Amino acid sequence: MSRVLALRLVAAGLVLAALLCGRLAIASAASVGDALTGGLVPSAVPGLLDPITSAGRNGWDCKPERAAEADRWHTAHLPSASDRS
Amino acid sequence: MQTPVPRTTSVPALRAAATAREVEERFTLGLAALARSDWSAGAAEFERIVALDPPEPKGSTARYDLAIAQANLGRNDDAARNLRAAIALDPGFLAAMANLISVDLARGDLQDARAVADRFIALAPDSARALYSRGLVALQGGDAQTARTDFGKLLQANPAYAVAHYDLALAEERLGNVSAAERELRAALALSPGYARAEFALGAVLLRQGRKSDARAAFAQATRDASADPSLANIAAAMRDSIAI
Repeated sequence: MSRVLALRLVAAGLVLAALLCGRLAIASAASVGDALTGGLVPSAVPGLLDPITSAGRNGWDCKPERAAEADRWHTAHLPSASDRS
Repeated sequence: MQTPVPRTTSVPALRAAATAREVEERFTLGLAALARSDWSAGAAEFERIVALDPPEPKGSTARYDLAIAQANLGRNDDAARNLRAAIALDPGFLAAMANLISVDLARGDLQDARAVADRFIALAPDSARALYSRGLVALQGGDAQTARTDFGKLLQANPAYAVAHYDLALAEERLGNVSAAERELRAALALSPGYARAEFALGAVLLRQGRKSDARAAFAQATRDASADPSLANIAAAMRDSIAI
């Protein structure tokens, strides 16, 4: 093998290695971005309010309707911080 | 002994009375079934009531209860249809709107969820459920501005609600307000120490600010706090390990 050919092979190897490193860096950045996106999700969807009797939502003790209009989160049966770690 | 005298001998009136009795009895059976989580039995009772087409408020209420059974059976499309029918019969039915938004989110129908949430807010502007639900729909739909408004208003009446601070922080982060996001996340964590999602989000916000050491510490804390959520724990650990200090 001539010296010129050997130098060309080494140069090609270096170019290939550089390209590979670049691709890995891009893949790594993408996976970090994916991980961030995967972790930054909104809180839990509220559970369904309870069933209502045949008296309907205007009954004086219709708790689901009261929960729907309440201005306090615990009365409204909203998720707590412990519902989704 | 006297024989009871019927109050009417009209066949239509007697039929209507019998139907009303059947509706009441099926409500009793259906609610008992839902209370013991027998969703199929509950659905059967409420489907029969709907077929009998009782007057209001029973018609909308039966559809509302039927939707609960169907949602628990995984029949979310049917549940959404019945909740929409309940609201059509009773346009001020807030509990039906609240449940329809949750069902729509489970179905991935953000467009309908948003339309219902807008209507819910218009009817009950101070409702915590309405503000939370629309804020959530807005966040999922990419409308961070509306999410910020709704969670901000929710916090005015509920300043100690850690989850609202967390969601407000997400909205601020998406609007590029990382300092405000950090402030809300620290408020959430002060109210609810060990809130792993908030700790993870804090790590992300700190990373965006270039504060790698603080970010790494936050991801490490999130990894420890997320022991009940292996998926989040894995992501937090990956983030922690990806930060070269």
